[in-house]
Amino acid sequence: MKILTTSVVAGIGLMALACGSAPQPTERLATAQAAVRAAKEVGAKEVPQAQLHAQLAEEQVTQAQKMIEDGDNDRAELVLRRATADAELAVALARENESQKQAEAAEAALGPQAASQPSNMQATNQ
Amino acid sequence: MTFSSLNITRIGQGLLLATTLTAAGCATSQPPKELVDAREAYQRSEHGKAREYNPAALHEAKVELDKAEAAFNNDPDSDATRDEAYIALRRAERAEVEANTMQWQQRQEKARNDANQNQAKGLQKAQSELSQAREQLTQEKAAREAAEVKSKEMLARLAAANAAAVKVEPRGTVITLSGGVLFASNKSQLLPGAQTSLSQVAEAIKTQDDKKVLVEGHTDSRGSDVTNQALSKARADSVASYLVSQGVPPDRVTTAGLGPSRPVADNNSAEGRANNRRVEIVIQQGEPK
Repeated sequence: MKILTTSVVAGIGLMALACGSAPQPTERLATAQAAVRAAKEVGAKEVPQAQLHAQLAEEQVTQAQKMIEDGDNDRAELVLRRATADAELAVALARENESQKQAEAAEAALGPQAASQPSNMQATNQ
Repeated sequence: MTFSSLNITRIGQGLLLATTLTAAGCATSQPPKELVDAREAYQRSEHGKAREYNPAALHEAKVELDKAEAAFNNDPDSDATRDEAYIALRRAERAEVEANTMQWQQRQEKARNDANQNQAKGLQKAQSELSQAREQLTQEKAAREAAEVKSKEMLARLAAANAAAVKVEPRGTVITLSGGVLFASNKSQLLPGAQTSLSQVAEAIKTQDDKKVLVEGHTDSRGSDVTNQALSKARADSVASYLVSQGVPPDRVTTAGLGPSRPVADNNSAEGRANNRRVEIVIQQGEPK
């Protein structure tokens, strides 16, 4: 078993051999689910880009839950982190959209002189 | 030295492992798409607004990217490398999006401040216009009151000089001039001596230049109504013409001949008849301008 121990220490990529010793990522799961809820609450569904990432987040949570059932906790943990990252991006996109609408409304309320403001806002790209 | 088969197997496996690990650490491995995307996204964010608005988030994105690069160096083809790169990609995108949001919030803040300033300016302007209007009203009121005082003085002087009788009635201020002072019997041409009284009346009327003036001719009941009506009208016209010649605006003056229809005294006595033969000049009340 000496070589086995060495390879575990030397090669992170050989994770399959470490499988089964990691605990269930319950906290990460809770975090990911909360992030998905937050994305819904902030109206991600109404903003196309945000909706995309909210959906990716949900799918990855489901995927991670299956991995936990199958005992693949290490991979589940990474997938949950992906899901959280997507959900947080969805929230950010929804907030960006809202702040843009509010800024444009405030500028419109000023009158025609506000329309001459140079706009250097770029659309978020993937 | 002899090696057991087990020793050779161990060494062989160790060499194989070392080779694999060396190959894994070599930079000639193709990075997975997720890592390429993550690197590009971080570059974009670094050169975008995140640096100005949200450096903390940009730093977090860099930390994630470094983790992904480390995973790639350890095992380039692993799920972990792709996962870490995916997370780094999302973090970099989020940093840029959050920076955009901050910029929009700044613009909203500025627009609100500008609107408040405009409102304040508008309010100031409205207040100053209100002050001006009030000022103007006060001045106009003072002018009107001064004119009132002046006309009252003039009319009082008229009355005091016995040039005419002045009476305030509901229909207006009525200046009554005796027919005998103004005209020869049955004539409508003004007597020369009439001009003194009439010019004083004209002056009094001119102080009330926003009011309409009605000149009414009246006769006693002797003679035909038709003749009397015509005579009273002709006399009213003569008086009106003279007032206009003294500067009373003609568009303010109207005339009427009432004949004997409105006596003020008893037509059965000579005195009464004399009193009925008169011209009334009415300075009419409250005409809109």
